[in-house]
Amino acid sequence: MADEITQQPQQVTPAQSPGSDVRRERLAWAIGVAGWLLPGLGHALQRMWGRALVVFLAVGLLVVTGATMRGNVFRSNGGDAFDTLGYVADLGTGCFYMAARALERDGADVSHADGDYGTRFLATAGVLNLLAALHAYEAARGRKA
Amino acid sequence: MIAANGFAMTHFQAFLLFAAVISVAFGFLGRRRPKDRIKYILWSFFLFLAVGIGIAWAMYPFSR
Repeated sequence: MADEITQQPQQVTPAQSPGSDVRRERLAWAIGVAGWLLPGLGHALQRMWGRALVVFLAVGLLVVTGATMRGNVFRSNGGDAFDTLGYVADLGTGCFYMAARALERDGADVSHADGDYGTRFLATAGVLNLLAALHAYEAARGRKA
Repeated sequence: MIAANGFAMTHFQAFLLFAAVISVAFGFLGRRRPKDRIKYILWSFFLFLAVGIGIAWAMYPFSR
């Protein structure tokens, strides 16, 4: 009896075929990148409208507030490791990074507490969007819902 | 309030805004059912306030 069970060939269903897995993985990557480029898009593509709206509004509000508080929007030509880290965090906001740079016409002013808070708001927006993009990627892979 | 040199908020207002936005985002990303989301948002917001105010008071002796 045990031999009969072990000798049965394993049937591969279309949903579990290797080709389907590769397609799903590629789609998940595309959704993750889309979610990074435009906050909330990764969830919107999966019809998670509530999450998409909240991510878009949360990241947008943090970016607009941070930029209008004259926080530091880091650039790629930073002088030290902290500038590079800040740049990576700011870049996490995707296309909102350009919006932040456009909003901050007078440049950063971190000599006051407001500017310092603004810098944190901008970095938090980027990290939050990266987290949301990762969540969208995992949801597309079927690991989270 | 928009000041000449940008958008100005008090420390506490910035703290409240930060806590509220992050709590709502975490609630929506971390939980699925509306009831669970509300509970998570409120709990997360409360913890942000408690930890933030706690750290502020812990640093108070060093501010002078």
